[in-house]
Formats: sequence, C-alpha cells, structure tokens
Amino acid sequence: MTLALLHRLSEQAHEIGASFGAAPQEWEAVRTAFSAAMMSGDGVRSFTYILLLMMIGAGLEWFYWTYSYASLRVLLNTEPSSPRQSLLFGLRRFWITGFGLLLFAVAAIGSTSAFVWPPGVHDMVVTLTLTLVMFRFIVIVADIVLSPGTPQLRLVPLPDRTAFTSMAAVALFAAVGSVAWFVPALITRIAGTPNLAQALRIGLGTLIAVALLLACLFTRRNREDVLAGRRRGLLPKFPRSLASATVITVVYALWLFGYSAAAVILGALAIVIAVQASLRSVVFYFWRDKILPEEPPHDGRESEEHHDSVQQDLAPSIILPAVRLFVALIGIGVCALAVDVPLTALATSESPLARFSFRLLGVAALALLANVAWITVRTTIDYRLSTIDKVDEHEQPGPGARLLTLLPILRTTAATVITVMLVLSGLWTLGLEITPLLAGAGVVGLAFGFGAQSLVQDVITGIFYLAEDTFRVGEYIESGTSTKGTVERLTLRTVALRHHNGPLHFVPYGTLGTVRNTSRDWVIEKFNLPLPIEVDSEKVRKLIKRVGEEMLNDAELGPLIQQPLKGKLYRVEPGIKIFRCNFRTAPGNQFTVRAAAYKRIEVAMNAAGITYAGNLPLTRTLDPAGP
Amino acid sequence: MVSSVKQRGTSSLDLWIRSARLFSGLFLSLFVLTHLANLALGLVSLEAIDAWRGILMAPWRSGAGSLILALAAFIHASIGLYTISKRRSLTLSRVDVVQIILGVLTPPLLITHVLTLRVTSLFVPEFDASYAVILSVYWSLAPAYAFQQLFVVMIVWVHAAIGFYSWIALRPVWPRIRNIVLPILFLVPILALLGFVEAGKEVLYRLENDAAWLDHIRAAQHLYSQAAPTLNAINTNVVASYWILVSIAFLSWAVRIYVGRSRPVRVFYEGDATATGRSGLSLLEISLTSGIPHAHICQGRGRCGTCRVDILRGGQNLTPPTDQEIKTLSQLHVTDTTRLACQARLLQGEVAIARILPAYADISAAQTPEEWEPKDSPSKIDDTLPAPVSSPLQEVTP
Ligand code: HEM
Ligand code: FES
Repeated sequence: MTLALLHRLSEQAHEIGASFGAAPQEWEAVRTAFSAAMMSGDGVRSFTYILLLMMIGAGLEWFYWTYSYASLRVLLNTEPSSPRQSLLFGLRRFWITGFGLLLFAVAAIGSTSAFVWPPGVHDMVVTLTLTLVMFRFIVIVADIVLSPGTPQLRLVPLPDRTAFTSMAAVALFAAVGSVAWFVPALITRIAGTPNLAQALRIGLGTLIAVALLLACLFTRRNREDVLAGRRRGLLPKFPRSLASATVITVVYALWLFGYSAAAVILGALAIVIAVQASLRSVVFYFWRDKILPEEPPHDGRESEEHHDSVQQDLAPSIILPAVRLFVALIGIGVCALAVDVPLTALATSESPLARFSFRLLGVAALALLANVAWITVRTTIDYRLSTIDKVDEHEQPGPGARLLTLLPILRTTAATVITVMLVLSGLWTLGLEITPLLAGAGVVGLAFGFGAQSLVQDVITGIFYLAEDTFRVGEYIESGTSTKGTVERLTLRTVALRHHNGPLHFVPYGTLGTVRNTSRDWVIEKFNLPLPIEVDSEKVRKLIKRVGEEMLNDAELGPLIQQPLKGKLYRVEPGIKIFRCNFRTAPGNQFTVRAAAYKRIEVAMNAAGITYAGNLPLTRTLDPAGP
Repeated sequence: MVSSVKQRGTSSLDLWIRSARLFSGLFLSLFVLTHLANLALGLVSLEAIDAWRGILMAPWRSGAGSLILALAAFIHASIGLYTISKRRSLTLSRVDVVQIILGVLTPPLLITHVLTLRVTSLFVPEFDASYAVILSVYWSLAPAYAFQQLFVVMIVWVHAAIGFYSWIALRPVWPRIRNIVLPILFLVPILALLGFVEAGKEVLYRLENDAAWLDHIRAAQHLYSQAAPTLNAINTNVVASYWILVSIAFLSWAVRIYVGRSRPVRVFYEGDATATGRSGLSLLEISLTSGIPHAHICQGRGRCGTCRVDILRGGQNLTPPTDQEIKTLSQLHVTDTTRLACQARLLQGEVAIARILPAYADISAAQTPEEWEPKDSPSKIDDTLPAPVSSPLQEVTP
C-alpha cells in the first residue's frame, strides 16, 4: 500500500519534471506560431475586434458610471451610523460597482459573437475577458471589504496601513489566481500544448502556495506578543499561523501529486473550520456598538448594564447560527463539487457506503437546520421573557403576565416539536421507513387518548383558559370547586393556587369550572357606619362626601381610587342610623383604601362632634322603659 | 503688495495657458474626429474613403491648416508637460492619471504615422498618402504598424473624450446635449475601427486579385523607401528629445514634492478635523492627501467651484486669488471670505476653513450652483442613513 503510494508519487514527480522539460520547446513553438498569426491580415483584424470589444465594454461601463457615480460618491462620503450600516453600505457599493462590471462583461463578451473571428481566437478572447472579469470581481469585493481609502466603511477591523497592504496582496493573488484558473486550459485547448499548460499551472500554483505561506508566516504573532499577552493574563493561543502553514503545504502537496479532489476537500474543510472559529467575532463585530466588550465587570452595576445590553439585540444570536449553517452548506457543496459526483448520483449510487454517507450529510444538514430553528425560537422567547417585568405578588398583575405563562409553554412545545420532527425526518433521510412508526404513533396516541381522557381534557381546557385570558399569574381567583387563591404557576395540565392562608392548591384545568376572578378591572367596596339616631343625615352625607373628595386629592390614596367614597343613609333601626359607604378601586387596593377611609371619617366625625352609636341604643331596645 | 501683483501676473498667464491647452486640445480633437469619420466610411467602400478624403481632410492638408494643426499639437503637448512639471503633490484622481499617461504616450506612438503621411511628400513629392496605400501597408506589408496605430487611435480618443467631457460636463448646457454627445463619443471610434476592418478586407482581396492595384502599392512603397532613412533619423531625434522633455517635467514634479516636504502647514476644518500638509500645497491637495472628504468635481482645475470654502481665519497665509479663481467665484455670488480650495495654496502657518458643499456634491452642483442643494443627500436616499458628513470624519485627523 505504502509502496504503491510512493511509486505513484515518484511517477507523478517524473511527469511534472517531463512537462517542465518539454515546456520551453512548446513555448517557442506557440510563440512563433502566434507572432506569425498576428503579423497578417487575420492578426490585424483580431486585434481591431479586441479593441472594439474593450471599447464597447468599457464605454458602456463608463456611460453607466456617469450616471451612478454620484450615488457611489455619496456612499463613500457618508459616515455610517452603526457597524451594521457600514455592512449595508458595503452591499450597496457592491451592487453599484458590480453592476458596472456586469455591464462590461456582458457587453464585451456578448459583442464577440457579432464578429467573425479567425479560428481559435474567439475562444481566446472570451477566456481572456473572463479572466479580466474574474480579476476585477475579486478586486471589487476586496475593495469593499478592506476599504483602504475610506476607514469609516471598512468591514474588517484593520488599521489603514494593513488595509492597503492587504488590498495590494489580494490584487496580486487575484491576478495570478485568475490567470492560473483560465489560461492553462485555454492553452491546452487552442495551442494543443499540454506540457506548457501543465508547467504554467504548476508554476502559478506554486507561486500562490509560496505567497500564501509567506503571508501566513509574516502575520504570525511573535514570541514577544505571546509573552506580553501571557503577562496580561491571556493564555497563549493555538499557533494558528503554523497550523495554516501546514494545511497550505499539505493542500499544495496533495494538489501537486494529482490528488486534486482531496486537496480541495481538505482546503475547504480548513477554510470552513477557520471561518466557523472566527464567525462569532465577525458577526458580533457588526453589533459591537450594542454589546459591551467581554471584560470582567468591576462592580455589580456594570455587570447589570452589561447584561441589559446583551439582551438588547438578539439579532446576532439568531444570525450567527444561520451564517454557520450557510458556511457549512457551502463547504459541503464545494466538497461535493470536488469529488465531482453529482449529489443525485451519490444518492442512487450502488455502493451502500456512498449512499449512507450521502444520507449522513443530509442528516447533518437537517440537524443544523433544526439547530437554527431552535436557537431562533429560544432566543426570541427568552428575549421576550426578559423584557417582561417580573410579577410582584402585591402588585396588580401587568399585561405581560399572560405572556409569562404562555411563553415557557410555547418554548417547551417548540422544543418537542422540533426534536420530534428532526428525529422523524432524520430517520427518513437515513432511509428508514417511518410510515409504520407514524401509524404506530397514531395507534398509541389513540390508546393514550382513551386512557388519558382527563389528561387531554385538562390540557385542552388549559389552552382555552389561557387563550381566553381567564386568569393570569398573580391574580386572585376562585374556582367552581371553590378552591381559591392567587395564581402562582401555570403548567400544561394544572394551575397552582396559593390560598391566602398558605396552602398551595394544584387544580387541573379540567376541574376548574366557573372561575371567579377577583383581580379584574375594579371592585366596589362597601361598609356600614352605625351612628346615633339623632345625627343629621344630610350633614353626615356631606361629611362623608367631603372625606371622599379629600381622599381623592390625596397624593397617595388618590391614584388608587376609581370612584370616590360616598355614603348615604341606608337603614334606620331603633336608636341608630346605619349609613352605607362605598367606593371603587382596582382589585387589591380596596383594603388600604378602606382602612384610610375609616380613619379619616373618624377624625372628621370627632371634629363635627359626632360619635358612633354606642351600646346605648341596644339597651334602649332591650329596655324601652328605662331611664 | 509687490509680490501680490507679481502673483497676479503669473496667474493671468495661468488662465491663458489653461485656455490655450483647452482650445488646442479641442482643435486637435476636431482633427481626429474628421479623420476617424473619414475612416468610418470604410464601411461603405474603399473608394468612398478616398473620395471623401478630399472633402473631409482638405482643410487640414492646406498649408495654413497643417501649420495650425502642428502649432496646436505643439502647444498642447508643451502645456501638458508644463502642467505636469508644475504639480506639487501626488494627489491625482484616477482620471488625472489616465489623462497624463495617455497624453504622454501619444507623441512617440503617433510620430511615425505623422512623419510618413505628412513629411514624406516633402522629400518625395510624388508620394501620395492615400488611404488605399496606407491600408495596404497596415493590412499586409507591415502589420506591426497597424497595431501601433490602432493603439494610438484608442489612446488619443480616450484622452480627448475625457478632456472634452470634464470640460463640457461642468457647463449648464451639458444636461441638454448629453444624450446626443455621449453616443457620438462612443460611436465615432467604434465606427472608425469597423470601417478600418471592412476597408482592410477589401484591400486584402485586391492585393490578391488585382495586379494593377498591387503595382500601384508597390510603387508607392518604393517612393517611400527613398525617404525612409531621413524619416527614421528625424523620428529618432524627435522621440529622444521628447523623452528628455518628459523626464524633465516629471523630475520637476518630483523635486517640488521633495522641496515642499520640510515645511509643514496645518488646516483646521469645521467640525474637529485637522490636516497637516506641506507648504505650497493647495487646500484641496491637503484635504485629499489627508483623507479628508472634499468635493472637487473638476479635479482641481478651478472650474467647478464645488471645492469652495469659507476662510475662518489665517486667510493671509494663502496665495491671493488667481484669475481663474476670481472668474469662477464671480459666477457663484459668494462672500469675500470664500476661496476655491483647489486654487488657494497655503504658504505657511495655519488656516481654519469651512467646506461649503458636502463631499458628495455632484456635477449638477457645478452646472447650476444657485439652485443646487444636496438632492442626493443620503437622508433622501434612505431614511435610515445618518446626516451627511458635512463635518469631517473624526478619525482621519493625522
Ligand atoms: C501630443 C501629445 C499630448 C499630450 C502630451 C497631451 C497632454 C495633455 C494633458 C497633460 C492634459 C491635461 C490633463 C490634466 O491636466 O489632467 C490634456 C488635456 C486634453 N487633451 Fe491632450 N495631450 C496630447 C494629445 C492630445 C490630442 C491628440 C488631443 C485631441 C485629440 C488632445 C485633447 C485633449 C483635450 C480635449 C484635453 C482637455 C483640455 C483641458 O482640460 O484643458 N490631447 N492633454
Ligand atoms: S475643484 Fe473645481 S473649482 Fe476647485
């Protein structure tokens, strides 16, 4: 096995050597043939046509720019208000410049078909134009990302100088890369010199590999930095540049010795891993104004603030997994392209291993998808939950109380649904027949349904109670079975009621029956005042009314009262007049208000010289003939 | 005072020089236009080219025409090199770079063509530079010249089109004529090259099949070869001297950059930005080298007025207004403290300025300065955008 491999390697090395040996002659032949072809009517004609193409393409693009440069100038001279907006600006710049390039490409390549070319030239012209377009495309993208001239629009955290050098480096790579991509194949096609093409391909490939290696090693953090970081309490990181240098070398070697597919897969894998590793910081980079740096907080206050601001924007936490998924899928796609087996062929392939691995890929994709869905649901719900104020037992339950009950239930339900769906579709993707499973589940469900009728009843009634907003956490209710108490917790099946004496009742929704909710909207509180029979009813009525007005104007009590205290003569009994007073408040406030009302009425009556009816009338009633 | 008057003197010369460059350029363009139009007739037939040659090219072939043309070329090239040598900084827009490179490349590429067609007849009077003969040379006898000539047609046309465009686009008439003029700018060279190809096909066919025609061409070729040695000598001399002049111009540019290097000056902008530059640079050049956004639609030629600034203090450190500046400013109805940043050069010390137009001002700001308001202002493009940068970016202060 090893020997066979070594044999293959030496063979390959031999071949490469041979093609380099043959390349100079081929080059010479191509060159002479080319100059001979150029120095003729055909050559002149081709050259003129090429100039025409360039003029048509560049002219059209220029024409486009005379209109659209103004918008680009605006973008370039505006300070984005947030990092996200600079991303938006980048996108717009991409559309504006990209459309110019597209016009150029379409016009230049499209108009080639209008001319009659000498043999082989058409192919050459189109390929070279494509090379140019590819080069320009890479440069446009790099220019937007690196923005060397406009630091406020830069999409990566780099200082000016680095941005400039990176831009130059990218342009160089783009040039070499585009040529390496298109030209060797072109040479093979029109000149029929495979050795020359091979030599060129390998030469350019080596150039790129060496340049990448150099770039890697140059950007390596040196020992000093590592030590300095160590002193500041940072652990030395994995030596990434060395790792990437190794990966580059291995990829290059694989490619050189003819294992291109393996090289692409390894390269893609390495890039996906690298991207995944930095993705978090990249995504959060665009929310850096919303999220404080992750430094240990110095005191409690700051940590609270920190917490708040993290909660403020949940977009990055949702976008991150989505982007992760996207990157992973692209990686899978590239690998699939590299092995050059169309996915459909893989799916129907004879080999069980291939089929299985394809299905495994599918399951992985499903899992990622489910993950994204779950994270989206969870972060959204958690975020909503955290924005609702916690319900205070003594306070009137706020409008969020209902959400507070519904959302956790929703979250559990979503988790269950997503898991079940993932499991089922995963099984299905793996090729297991899930129909019987579903049918079985149906039968079992039926059985359960009969067996657990009351359970089902509880769950369903519970949903309706919640949907109809019959009660919320924190409200005081009385059920039809006359259990009463404050709603403390809602689960899928029961509601927990805290009786005012302490015990906690767990009442299944199904048995809740008529619910009397005493915490809704308002209550009317009534109480009686027994006064001596001699008092002037009208005077008392006014006195009570005045007290009521005073209470309404009181800074503390006023807000609690919905309708002020009033009183009127209600009943006359021997020796006493009974006055009935009432007022209206929000539920729960009546006790406070009533206590205050008693106090104030007493004070007012004392001032007016009225006393409560004492025992006297009672004795009178008992002994009417008494002294 | 004395120095100010002297400044005035040179700046008038400056104004004159600029219009000389413009008009010589336009004049040369007119020649190129007729020439290319003539060539485009190749789409009709070879005969049509030579028939129309008598009409289209006649004015240029008369003695006066030739003289004026030569003078225009000389003036234009000299002024071009002169302005290169007068540059003080490396602030060049992309358009400037293209203009300079193409302009400088034109004479050495064009000289052979001019010598062959205009000067040969001085030595060999019977030689007639008809399109038929020249096309035969290009298409069959010496294709290398064809490449050179095609190349130069492109270069000259792009150079002329850019020059013409950046002049006319600032004029109020431009919006009305642009839809006629722009297509013409495109179509002329395209039609000319197509005509060149069609005529070439015809020429190749005749060279194959028409013995008399072949003899005619051979005769002309023979006549030309008599003058060839002299022409080649002239060619070498002219090109050599030209490159010397070009080197002098670029050297002078380099020297200016080098000399100004050691005397720093500072500009304070509205908002908080500051920029440091070298003594002798224009305010616009200082803005651009420091990465401070500053509108400059005409690339600092003092024509558009979009770079204008209010001088808040330190005005005495600036060069007095040139005639070009006075002319442009007088069309803008501005206050006394307003200057053109591209013309006012900072000689020493510091100056505080406020830019008047936002950096994204477009060409309409120069065409109709009175009505112009930032209609493309970002807030109208998109509500989510922040206020435009009328105050400069904070982080660009050096
Ligand atoms: C002989 C060689 C030439 C040289 C060295 C040359 C050089 C220049 C330079 C340096 C500029 C100014 C560019 C700037 O300041 O950014 C210019 C402008 C211009 N050139 Fe030429 N040029 C040459 C030939 C031509 C020809 C053959 C034409 C006409 C077909 C032409 C037409 C123009 C026009 C219209 C302008 C704009 C004038 C202006 O803005 O003032 N040039 N040239
Ligand atoms: S830039 Fe046009 S006038 Fe100054």
